[in-house]
Amino acid sequence: MEGKLNEENMEEVMLLEENIRRLQAEVAELQGQCQKHQKELTLHSSQSMKRALSLVCGHTLQEDTHVVLSSLREEVEQLEDDLERQSNINGISLRSFTACTLESSDTKSVQQMCVSGQCSDLKFQVEFELSEVKGDERPEKSITSFNVVMGAGDLQNFSSFLSGVEESKDILLFFRTLRTFSDRMDERRRAFQHFQTKYGHVVCAPGDNSSLLTFHHPDLPGCIFLVHWSVDVSKEGEVTPKVDLLTKIPDRALQLFQSQAVVGTAEAFHSLLRLLGPEAALEEVIRAAGLITD
Amino acid sequence: MNKQQVDIFPTKQGDGRPLNMEPAKGVLSHLSALEVRARSRQVQPRQRSRVEELRARAEALTVQRDRLKAEIHAHKGIEKHKTRLNNRGAAAAEEEMETEDNENEQLLHLIARVMDLKQLLYAHHIIGGYDITKTRRGKGICVTLSTAYEGVYLETYNMELDVGPTLKISRHNVPPFIPLGELCEPAGRQKDLRGFLDPLLTRLNAFAGRRQQLRLVKELHPSVTVMESNMLCSILVILLSTPREKTTLLCTLNYTDHTRCLPTGVHFDCEDKKLLESSKWKNNRKLLMETPVHKALGAMKNMDCIG
Repeated sequence: MEGKLNEENMEEVMLLEENIRRLQAEVAELQGQCQKHQKELTLHSSQSMKRALSLVCGHTLQEDTHVVLSSLREEVEQLEDDLERQSNINGISLRSFTACTLESSDTKSVQQMCVSGQCSDLKFQVEFELSEVKGDERPEKSITSFNVVMGAGDLQNFSSFLSGVEESKDILLFFRTLRTFSDRMDERRRAFQHFQTKYGHVVCAPGDNSSLLTFHHPDLPGCIFLVHWSVDVSKEGEVTPKVDLLTKIPDRALQLFQSQAVVGTAEAFHSLLRLLGPEAALEEVIRAAGLITD
Repeated sequence: MNKQQVDIFPTKQGDGRPLNMEPAKGVLSHLSALEVRARSRQVQPRQRSRVEELRARAEALTVQRDRLKAEIHAHKGIEKHKTRLNNRGAAAAEEEMETEDNENEQLLHLIARVMDLKQLLYAHHIIGGYDITKTRRGKGICVTLSTAYEGVYLETYNMELDVGPTLKISRHNVPPFIPLGELCEPAGRQKDLRGFLDPLLTRLNAFAGRRQQLRLVKELHPSVTVMESNMLCSILVILLSTPREKTTLLCTLNYTDHTRCLPTGVHFDCEDKKLLESSKWKNNRKLLMETPVHKALGAMKNMDCIG
């Protein structure tokens, strides 16, 4: 009887040991899968998130789901407010953000990140690598590669700046310049719209986001004032609007009336521009050229 | 750990069966029964506790495994909701959830939304956003001004502003040689927060950039002696030596435009006037005007202009 008992036990011990080995392997594998999540979770350490997570993971069963849901909704609302505030002040609204870890150790981590969004109506997508060195002197955070994708229509004035900023990996400069550029573009759009609504019968803009605006008297379709308003971006990221006034008058008309006023238009406009700013200067031109009769 | 209580006179065996003791058969049989029990006790308790230990282990591992499985399952659910948020946008996903009765799905959706929002907020921070927060029940705001040069994140400055009829700075750690008042007052009067912060941020970044350039000159070009520089890093005087002509040049870089990292004027001083007239050094001046100084010096060294 005694021997039998021992035998049974031995068998059970072996079975259990086998079982434990299997479970251990399984747990180790699952833990590996979980590690990624757990890292992510440390970022989301609010009380309501912790409770919600332990609820969906089935760690706590007694929690009142309604309470957790409502506190989570509250948190979402707060975060939405916060995001709106950042979007407003930064002039940039972000649509998506993804990150994946390329390298991670005690001293260094490298993450590949991708951010997309828009600044006014300029859409962008940027990809970059963020590396963080946790030295004992000064922890250093830097961008190690930087790549920008933008709509082709927006690129004309931006291209030389863009290639420079990608090379220098200056992501902060890129966004500062993008914001200023977009502000200046908005100013131009507003000014053009203003003239089109105010002087609809004499003003014409060829496209929605064009850099050209033309004026001509309805009775004189051959004589045109062209306003060329471009927003230039230097390699260093300096944004400067440039407004020029050009005249298009048939050669024959010029031969007949060699007036100083027409020849010196461009220079005269520039001094007007310096004094009054673009909107008021253009108003003056329209008035002076007799395009409108009050 | 709980210490297992050891029963000295067990009336039951480990598996719950009553101990084999037949009371009717007299002293001898009782003694033999005791003997069996004594002998078996030498082996049994050890074995029994081993089995129990193993059983407990297996049980604990099973619990742990189920817990991890549940966790992974939940995270798959969160991931699913995240993808949905990304593909259809927050508003559309929100609408879909309104008809969802399953509380677990609702939870997963909200968790995904919180994570998504936090990531977008982090992205704003990384791309150099102002990180605006309200303080004193909306009476004030705090902003962060991040600086970086060529991809390296440098100092961040903080400001607390009073949001009254005008914007006023109540506290800040911006260096005193940055003319805060001059930069911010006009926009502050109009409560134009962006107009207030943008020019300041440009200045701070230009300053951080110039200072970083100075650091890099010292680090990368030990043969170049920095003779003079100021706090604002708006002037830099360096001593260069020419290996071929065996002479030294004093190079003065002026950064009068404080919104830029590049100099507005470059001036050389040297006893050898002819050298300064040479096209080589005219090119060097151009190079220093258009390229950050640490890089320009590198290029000049490569061309054997300086030692």
